[in-house]
Amino acid sequence: MTPARQMSLGLLPEGTGVHPASWLDPSTPANAAVNIRHYVDIARTAERGKFDFIFIADTPAARTSNLQCWSRFPLFMNVLEPVSLLSALALQTTHLGLGGTATTSFNEPYNVARLFASLDHISGGRAAWNVVTSANEYVALNFGLEELPPHTQRYERAREFLAVVEGLWDSYEDDAFVYDRRTGYYFDPAKLHVLDHHGPHFKVHGALNIGRTPQGRPVVIQAGASSAGRELAAETADVVFGADESLELAQGFYRDLKGRMAKYGRTPDQLKILPALRVVLGGSAQEAEDKYQTLQSLIHPDVALQFLAGDLEADLSGLDWDKPIPEERIPASANLHKNFFDKIVTRIRTERPTLRQLCMSYERGNRTIKGTPMQVADMMEEWFGNGAADGFMLLFLTLPSGLDDFVAGVVPELQRRGLFRQDYAGATLRENLGLGWPVNRHAAQPAPKRVAVG
Amino acid sequence: MSFTVENRAVSKMALAVLVQGTGAHPASWLQTETVADASTDIDYYTRCARLAEQGRFDLFFIADTPAARTENLTAWSRFPMFMNVFEPVTLLAAVAANTTHIGLGATASTSFYEPYNVARLFASLDHISHGRAAWNVVTSANDYAARNFGLDKLPPHNERYERAYEFVQVVKALWDTYEDDAFILDRSSGLNFDPAKLHVLDHQGKFFKLHGALNIRRSPQGQPVIIQAGASDTGREFAAETAEVVFASDTTVAKGRVFYDDLKGRMAKYGREPDQLKVLAGVPVVIGESAQEAEDKYQALQSMIHPDVGRMRLSTDLEVDLSDLPVDEPVPLDRIPAKSNFHHTYFAQIADMVRRGMTLRQIYMNYERGTKTVRGTPIQVADYMEEWITGGAADGFMLLFHTMPSGLRDFVQRVVPELQRRGLMRTEYEAQTLRGHLGLHRPPNRYVQAAPAAPVAAAAE
Repeated sequence: MTPARQMSLGLLPEGTGVHPASWLDPSTPANAAVNIRHYVDIARTAERGKFDFIFIADTPAARTSNLQCWSRFPLFMNVLEPVSLLSALALQTTHLGLGGTATTSFNEPYNVARLFASLDHISGGRAAWNVVTSANEYVALNFGLEELPPHTQRYERAREFLAVVEGLWDSYEDDAFVYDRRTGYYFDPAKLHVLDHHGPHFKVHGALNIGRTPQGRPVVIQAGASSAGRELAAETADVVFGADESLELAQGFYRDLKGRMAKYGRTPDQLKILPALRVVLGGSAQEAEDKYQTLQSLIHPDVALQFLAGDLEADLSGLDWDKPIPEERIPASANLHKNFFDKIVTRIRTERPTLRQLCMSYERGNRTIKGTPMQVADMMEEWFGNGAADGFMLLFLTLPSGLDDFVAGVVPELQRRGLFRQDYAGATLRENLGLGWPVNRHAAQPAPKRVAVG
Repeated sequence: MSFTVENRAVSKMALAVLVQGTGAHPASWLQTETVADASTDIDYYTRCARLAEQGRFDLFFIADTPAARTENLTAWSRFPMFMNVFEPVTLLAAVAANTTHIGLGATASTSFYEPYNVARLFASLDHISHGRAAWNVVTSANDYAARNFGLDKLPPHNERYERAYEFVQVVKALWDTYEDDAFILDRSSGLNFDPAKLHVLDHQGKFFKLHGALNIRRSPQGQPVIIQAGASDTGREFAAETAEVVFASDTTVAKGRVFYDDLKGRMAKYGREPDQLKVLAGVPVVIGESAQEAEDKYQALQSMIHPDVGRMRLSTDLEVDLSDLPVDEPVPLDRIPAKSNFHHTYFAQIADMVRRGMTLRQIYMNYERGTKTVRGTPIQVADYMEEWITGGAADGFMLLFHTMPSGLRDFVQRVVPELQRRGLMRTEYEAQTLRGHLGLHRPPNRYVQAAPAAPVAAAAE
């Protein structure tokens, strides 16, 4: 009997939670962002809830303008570096996967290959690297540039970067280290393969200075929704985060991405699509809604205005809070996130909300689901069972309470329905995600070849 | 706490241990007592760090070069240093959670990293460890590393140091992005931090251009401790200006004292007090019940060096290929190159032994690459260390053990109590941070130092 398909769950914690006002909620530890103890507690709770992995998002830059707003919403402003954070969590957990973001635009492949290989060894095979190209100018300014390279160029570099990193991860074959005191060979020199890479972005002649990792290679995560991003993911990603807000959109994304895999010789089950899902739980739907509204009401108008202005790509300063945004402030078209932009413009023109109403109710991207554990489980089951998701990347508005509620309420319900594991089946993240072993490119021919010969 | 020698106040000695896999000796992994795969065993490193912490060490240190060797693999496969190692910051972050006091130092190369990334890694480690991080600033000195980062060979020495200098300035400035009291976390006013206490760095130099702020609050030590090891003139000048710990490699008290005085003498022109830089002499130690037992232990290890490994080490440092020579015959004098391009001291040591007519085996059995292993009883080792401290040649030691963890265990159990009995070493940690252990000032934030000027400017507005 084949075991029933089960969902994968990731957790994205950001300090006190993903809500801009979460740190104002007295239940959260205000200094959470750099408090390793807080992260250990969160990780252990996620592990108790049998999550596949914890994930640390990252951008290597603080904002340097509009500080009167960012000082009220400290996301990006004060964070631990992800790989060091995850290494510190590794020995405090036993099964939880440990994923972190590192940008291909402002790192060197050799350094990234080492960091994640090292994390994989330290954690006994639980590391995952989220490959991003970075998408804001603040980062560029930290690394000698005036602005980000164009999208296409960033993706070309990312593709080559990833190829180099994966090449380096295969430097040693799995059985290269023999530790043979009798012959005096620590490793078999024939099983070390020097990478000799010459590409448009990188030239690397070398071998990674660490043995192949417990997972073979750390798990590769991606999130790009553009066509270039989807193509790269179809070819190389093990896990993809989705950002669609409706079942239909998510199904479209799921179908499209998995449909691109065949041409790279991959089967659909080798890539797990996890839509991001913000969850607010309550004893009743109303209680969940009230929790959410309480948090929303804590958002400072400057912060709300900045969010809205950012996605509308407009200057909204000096406007009357109690009147609708004048038509002449609305740009003709979007340059950054077209779907966010279109949604706002449509709402302005159809509902005519005041600036205050629009600001305080605006919510960007990702779906927030508010409800009872049963309602949340229903929604997750619907997406999981209807070709929209292999699992979810969960975000909670406040931590640790949001996660505590989920582990206490939703996880048992999903388990009862047979949709989620009762306990970890494997020791590594790859095993728990149900991903195959990445065969070393230098290893002797795999089994099918031998069958053909015989 | 301090005592007086020759009218100079002498602090308790500082102790660091350099841990690399099964031990610093090329043949250590062949000893059955060692854990063969130690270099990628995090529990092993954690045990070593705890042992050093039990011995009240200041610093647990991980050396690093961002490259595996890609040539002469028949020899490197027998001597796996460089070939299979954790990345140091990840290693130390993991160790941080399982230790409470010991400092955690790691090497990161200024030649092959970006300042923003290094600033983050060490600031993050300082937060994770609650103030125990140290960064060993190196420029890298091998072409294997260069080839991993798009170059065919290393940039010249001077250019590497120029870059290192600018790199460190940028990193230290980024560490000062936020003033210490910037994060007010005030729920009533809704201000998480005071925006007036965030300072954006705007740097335009020869190697780096940065306009940005570090995305983490000032770390518990203000800034992680800066370590350096360069012995060249440029390296010493750089250290005198910026280093807080320097690893030294002289093998006699007399030479050690010359280096010590020279380095500390250069500090005044940078407005620094001599006690704000700790010189730690690098010393491999082998302990025995008797001097003879220690010597035997040492010789047993030396005899386990495979001829391929011995030849390779000599070829590298004599800067000539010796792979065709028989092991048990003298090395022909005409094999000595006219001059050395890399490590002059190592080169001279080997050339001297060749001139004395020693065989290849005799040479590699006696060769220690710049160091001289101290072999003896716990009392003899303590005597040696006391002589360096009271002789004004060191503020402490960077210890290496040929086999681990046994070498460190012997030291902690046998030598540490003796040093404590003599009043040369602390018996308990008196501080929580590495700066505290070492007696280093917490660096004031540059933007706060500038504060007295501010009211004038404000009045002018």
